[in-house]
Amino acid sequence: MTRLRLNRRRFLATSAAAGTACLGAPLYAQTRELVIISNRGNPDQRAALEALAKEFGTSAGVKVSVNNMDHEAHKTAIRNYLVASPPDINFWFSGERMQGFVERGLFSDITDLVEQNGWADVVPAMGATTVDGRIYGLPTAGLLWGLWYRQDVFDENGWTPPATAEDFFTFGETAKAAGMTPFSIGTKNMWPAAGWFDHMNLRINGLEHHKDLMAGRIAYTDASLMKVMEPWTELVNAGLFLENATSYAWEQAAATLAQKKAAMMDLAGFISYGFPEEDRGQLRFAPFPTYDAGMGRYEDFSVDSIHIPAGAKNPEVAREFLTYFYQPDTLWSYLEPDGNLPARTDIDVSGNHIMSESKKGLVGVDGTSQYYDRDTNPDVAQAGLKGFQEFMARPDRAERILADIERARARVYGAL
Amino acid sequence: MLRNRRKLLHRATPALLLAPGLLLFLVVIVFSALRTFWISLHVWDGFGDMAWAGLANYVELWGDPQFWVSLRNNVIWLVVFLLAPPLGLAIALLVNQKIRSMRLAKSLFFMPLVLSTVTVGVIFVWFYDPTYGLLALIFDAFGGTAPAVLSSDTWVTLAVVFAALWPQVAFCMVLFLAGLNNLDEEIIGAGRVDNARGWQMLRHVVLPQLRQVAFIAVAISMIGALRSFDIIAVMTSGGPFGSSTNLAYQMYEESLFSYRFGYGAALATVLFAIMMVFIVWYLIRLLRDERGA
Repeated sequence: MTRLRLNRRRFLATSAAAGTACLGAPLYAQTRELVIISNRGNPDQRAALEALAKEFGTSAGVKVSVNNMDHEAHKTAIRNYLVASPPDINFWFSGERMQGFVERGLFSDITDLVEQNGWADVVPAMGATTVDGRIYGLPTAGLLWGLWYRQDVFDENGWTPPATAEDFFTFGETAKAAGMTPFSIGTKNMWPAAGWFDHMNLRINGLEHHKDLMAGRIAYTDASLMKVMEPWTELVNAGLFLENATSYAWEQAAATLAQKKAAMMDLAGFISYGFPEEDRGQLRFAPFPTYDAGMGRYEDFSVDSIHIPAGAKNPEVAREFLTYFYQPDTLWSYLEPDGNLPARTDIDVSGNHIMSESKKGLVGVDGTSQYYDRDTNPDVAQAGLKGFQEFMARPDRAERILADIERARARVYGAL
Repeated sequence: MLRNRRKLLHRATPALLLAPGLLLFLVVIVFSALRTFWISLHVWDGFGDMAWAGLANYVELWGDPQFWVSLRNNVIWLVVFLLAPPLGLAIALLVNQKIRSMRLAKSLFFMPLVLSTVTVGVIFVWFYDPTYGLLALIFDAFGGTAPAVLSSDTWVTLAVVFAALWPQVAFCMVLFLAGLNNLDEEIIGAGRVDNARGWQMLRHVVLPQLRQVAFIAVAISMIGALRSFDIIAVMTSGGPFGSSTNLAYQMYEESLFSYRFGYGAALATVLFAIMMVFIVWYLIRLLRDERGA
């Protein structure tokens, strides 16, 4: 009993001392702090970001903490933390996804910082983070979407990538004759089907139409949409796509390309993750075939971006960090492990095979959209993603599917 | 004076002991349920202002084909999960025999209960994989082609329910094993004297004693079927095109992906109402038995 009491007294004394120490610490520690929330999934890129943060911390005398979040979980968490406990820096996607937060005043306007540094001159994608002429974030890198293939497979068979709509079918037949799936696609996570829709709509109806559709200004029941669904139905019915696509995520679909069981696949540079290191050099990029010779070349080019939340506690330090982070060398060391194309054009990417392929693919592009679920309202996007997944499995339901998406569009954007 | 205080304390004790549990129940269950119902009467994107919508969410629910698919899937879940108690009982009777190495069999049947639902889901996704999965290999061995069950809008829900049934059967087995260990030896002895064996013994002597356990197994299986969500998220994400979505998953999808918290709350309210039927049934039975005893 006595011993217990002694112990308890000692415990109280110790914890009191510890408490005082904790309270006292910030008094003599530095007051400059920076909190970063990162959503980067690639472990190498995470390590690169942490190294950068550390370097910035030492040189600027700032206590930097990087909070890593799972990429998918971050998509829902951001809505909470931007309001409740905003960090000083966070990563996000530009386009509609960013605009929603800008409209609610949750991201800081950094137009002056961009002007000061003259960044707009070296970043053609700055438009992706601009809303009504004000800039709310810095584009870090872009993902160019198109058809990837293996050079060695194409050499063996003497193939060239399909260039026109007719080529789809001739190429498909030769690929099937060689025992391969012409186009690998995994629609378990739904977005790959929506990406294919983007390509088709951009090729057939053009960029202006696509932008209007994404902004809810065109009904999904409009006749122009059937002009996309009909040729797409022909592709599906010709058996050009991977069978049972809804059973596979993109990683498994990419594996069929790596294993030479499929000829091509619609993806961005991150397709290289699905490839063994030694095979990555074989990857080549080909733009999506043309449907209308008179149509400009419009592509999905999704831009990732970095932001300062409006509620950041240390906005000045955050601006310092962006200035440091956006230097060509620093940005490169952050992007290199990921393989996405740097948003700054003054970075030399020739040392990275995948980036060079994307960069070559970007030459001659007349205009860009982002990606289906980055361009349109999330509610409509969810209906669209589900609809296009269903369409690729059951193309005969096209009209009903479009009517379903239209219901979501009308609910969000109002009747036309 | 002191006696009065002691008396008071004596009377207050049950209330004090119940207080933490009650408080938790009020905050986590009752308040949340009422709040969910309140949200379901609004249009709300999760942050920002809520706009009053009256019963509009429920009206929309009525006309939403996905809602009816989800409801149908919930019924499939309920019906298939009713297999869990009899299967669990069968396995419990099997492994309850005093035969050598039954312990090993027992622990093998018990295993899925130790695994998390996510693990079970992943294992079954591999099992069903149409190119590399065990199911495909079995079909290959007999010269057939395995159906891609997770890609088929007709079979996908059954495929997911069967995956979920595996741990549920194990759970029921454990319940029945415990029940079998509590059998009254005297009654069994009396049955033996009357020459009861095999089926007769099971039907008239053993099963009546397991009624209470069977009731709990059924009730818990029903509620488990209704709240199933995680295994759907892991195996199919509700797909293909919503064919394996149930009410709980649709609620999650509408709220967190489409940012329609009002609509999600309406789904939650409907699910809650369906669950109430089973919960009330369970409570009435429980109270009646307690009073009877």
